Amino acid sequence: MTALSPTPSKKYDLSFARWVYDNVDGGDRLALCMQCGTCSGSCPIGTQMDHGPRKLFMMIRAGMKEAVLTSNTLWNCVSCYNCVVRCPRKVPVAYILHDLATVAVREGYAEARNSDNARFAKAFWWSAAKYGRTDERLVTGKYYFSFGMAEGYKRGMANLPIALGMIKTKRMHLGMPHACKNTGELHKVLAKAAEIEARDHGKQG
Amino acid sequence: MTERKTGIYLCSGCGIGESVDVALLEGVAKKEFKLDSRTHACLCGDEGVAMIRADIEAGVNQVAIAACSARVMTDRFGFEPIQVLRADLREKVTWSHAPNHEDTQALAEDAVRMVLTQAGKVKAPEPYVEGEWSSRILVMGGGVTGLEAALQSAALGHEVLLLEKSDRLGGRALDASKRLPYRPPYAQPEVNDIAGLVARVGAESKISARLGCTVTQTSGMPGRFMVNLSDGSVETVGAIVVATGWRPYDASKLGHLGYGASPDVVTGVELEAMLKAGKVARKSNGAPVKSVAFVQCAGSRDPDHLPYCSSVCCASSLKQALELIEAEPDTNAYVVYQEMRTPGVMEELYRTAQSAGVIFMKGKVKTVGADLTVTVADELIGEDVPLAGLDMVVLATGMVPNSTNPDQPAPETGAEQLAGDVDPEAPFPVAGYCGDAPPAHAKREQAVPEGGSLLNLQYRQGPHLPVLHDGFADSHYICFPYETRRTGIYTAGPVRRPMDWAEAAEDASGAVLKAVQAVRSASAGAALHPRVGDLSYPKINLNQCTKCKRCTVECPFGAIDEDEQTYPIVNSTRCRRCGTCMGACPVRTISFDNYSVDMLSSMIKSVKIPDEFSGKPRILIMACENDAIPALDMAGIKRNQWSAHVRVVPVRCLGSVSLLCISDALSVGYDGVMMMGCKPGDDYQCHFVKGSAMAAERLSKVGETLKSMMLEPERVTQAEASIADADRLPKVIDAFVEQITAIGFNPFKGF
Repeated sequence: MTALSPTPSKKYDLSFARWVYDNVDGGDRLALCMQCGTCSGSCPIGTQMDHGPRKLFMMIRAGMKEAVLTSNTLWNCVSCYNCVVRCPRKVPVAYILHDLATVAVREGYAEARNSDNARFAKAFWWSAAKYGRTDERLVTGKYYFSFGMAEGYKRGMANLPIALGMIKTKRMHLGMPHACKNTGELHKVLAKAAEIEARDHGKQG
Repeated sequence: MTERKTGIYLCSGCGIGESVDVALLEGVAKKEFKLDSRTHACLCGDEGVAMIRADIEAGVNQVAIAACSARVMTDRFGFEPIQVLRADLREKVTWSHAPNHEDTQALAEDAVRMVLTQAGKVKAPEPYVEGEWSSRILVMGGGVTGLEAALQSAALGHEVLLLEKSDRLGGRALDASKRLPYRPPYAQPEVNDIAGLVARVGAESKISARLGCTVTQTSGMPGRFMVNLSDGSVETVGAIVVATGWRPYDASKLGHLGYGASPDVVTGVELEAMLKAGKVARKSNGAPVKSVAFVQCAGSRDPDHLPYCSSVCCASSLKQALELIEAEPDTNAYVVYQEMRTPGVMEELYRTAQSAGVIFMKGKVKTVGADLTVTVADELIGEDVPLAGLDMVVLATGMVPNSTNPDQPAPETGAEQLAGDVDPEAPFPVAGYCGDAPPAHAKREQAVPEGGSLLNLQYRQGPHLPVLHDGFADSHYICFPYETRRTGIYTAGPVRRPMDWAEAAEDASGAVLKAVQAVRSASAGAALHPRVGDLSYPKINLNQCTKCKRCTVECPFGAIDEDEQTYPIVNSTRCRRCGTCMGACPVRTISFDNYSVDMLSSMIKSVKIPDEFSGKPRILIMACENDAIPALDMAGIKRNQWSAHVRVVPVRCLGSVSLLCISDALSVGYDGVMMMGCKPGDDYQCHFVKGSAMAAERLSKVGETLKSMMLEPERVTQAEASIADADRLPKVIDAFVEQITAIGFNPFKGF
């Protein structure tokens, strides 16, 4: 069971900030953000974001839930951790963005679910969770075909020369996907984690 | 009176002997003043001091010392009750001018001439100590500040009369819930222990408290104020501590922030009372408050309301938000601020509030609707954000000082005193700036405090305590906090500047120490700040007085009243001994035992003026003892050099300089005169408030006179000096010397 963040329909939702403080990974530290902007200034791809982290955090306080959860900021973060290292208030900025991305997906924000990064992340996670390893062919395949059969085929063919080159230089293998030693144990670990997450968020809700 | 017997002592130590010929200085004393001087290589050493003491035992009753600056070695060269006069041969002569140069030698010789001339014109002051003196301290106001002041005064052994306008002691703290943090780690609201404070005051036998009592009239002076009370009694007290506190800004003027539109828009003071009562609920329907927005700077830092920051509203709102969250952890508390101002350790409370989940929004509130929707122009997002669905809006209103009694009508006289002492519309530059001042801010308007006077002073200059900007009663909150412009009356707490409980308690100690000093000095006839311990006081020869009233009007402290025949009467313990009256008097009939127009003029005239063929100008600097002289001393200590053609005469305040001194200087052949003193004006640094402003005003009228004498008006100027100007002043002096040299010599030279 997952607690939903409050009233998704309102543009300004007064209780959103407190919900984020209480429910999002690192949200308790977010309460200490003093809007200095060191995170946005340190971000190597700030220009590729709808809003820098500083502004996004202020939008959370203003209760602009929809604008926050549809923002590409959540997906474009490259996890360089400059912001986390430099934040004078020890706000784990990247963690918060990642967890907000999870919230966005969970709550069904279409833009979030359909963004490039979300599709790739999903494909990546599928492989990692299933095999304990990421398999280049399966991850890219899963990612490409998430756009549909025709689009997947087109993208795959466009990258065929690269794939062949990689096989030739033994950067990519043919055959069964690699897997970690005991995938059964891995699946148990992940199931337990999911159970804990559901329980904790359930308690908050 | 015993015959004056002056001893002159020269010191050749600290480089003086290597730089000037001390034997020639001895010659000046011998030839021109018929005095045998004694020289010592280390006059301040035991041997030198013993030499002077031996002479005093042998009959010397006035000591003139030509050595270091008068500001140093005062303990070594203090021979009470023998009068000691000092001439500076060190800082302002040998350390700041070329050694073994004829101009430096001339400078040193003139220093000896000036001090020996001065010696002939002064006597040791006899203090005014007649009559009975009271050591009782009147504390006005029974709030935190007043209670603390009463306790502190009693602890110092003084009887205290504690007046409280209402019928209970405790003041505004009685209606407050918790108090702001005041002890480490300064992170949590603290218990409000006002009842304990009131009990401690009640248990103190030296304090007699009168409830429901105000002052109807105050006359007299420090040491013997006669205070008429509203209960009909008349009490004599030695000093007065005004701790009348504050009142919240009138929220009914804040319609633009929704006050009055909904009962759920309340002020911080109203919420505080609800917290104190233990029940916070919506006034409209009694429902609990789940979601609340605090609007900071409600009517503060707003030119249409209070132009200033009250400094405690931010912390108060933080505290209230924390109290609400503590009572109900799910409470959604928004604080809408322009700048969060949590001075000092109050930052810790801010952090606590952040950690507790209080939500902060930076921006101006544009509107507050009747449905409690607060629209914020959010500066950090860059758009208008509506906060809808709130249960309560709290306006953090500012503090208005009780410099007047708002319950009483304004008296017929004195309103102009509140409005006129500081021009409310005067542009004011950035305060506390040394050197070239940055451009002034735009003019701002300021309301005159409304209501009756607190003390109803029976002073020539009106019933009110003069106020500074924004209606706070003080005289200079950086340099002389607690002092009002009425000697012996001190302000403490929020009537002086906005502050919280802990600061007010500290403020009370400061004001009490001042009041105790006032009481003790009054009975000894000694002056208070800044001429602490000065026993002289102005004496007026009424036979020559023309009743022009300039002294009674210009005294910065209202020390001089008028009798039935409009002759001036000096209230000696109200006087701070600046001599502004002396400088004002057109017939020069005001003087001190040790300071007079005659003394200054004689010192000025004692200098040897070289003739025009020498090519050496002579320039007079009348320098204020408070800032200009110490700055020049420091310039000497830093070995900064300046022209040897100037002669510096220290004065108590530029306000004490009579225009006669200037005309005397020009008539004996000085080529230029510079008045060097503190910054006048609204952000004055004058230690006597208005002295340098008075000097500037008088000087503005000198130009015409100079023209009629066929002299260039540029020969006389006023220069601003601050204590930090050690590097700047030598340049100012040299530039003036250059300017005067360019104008040419004074045509009166040699006549």
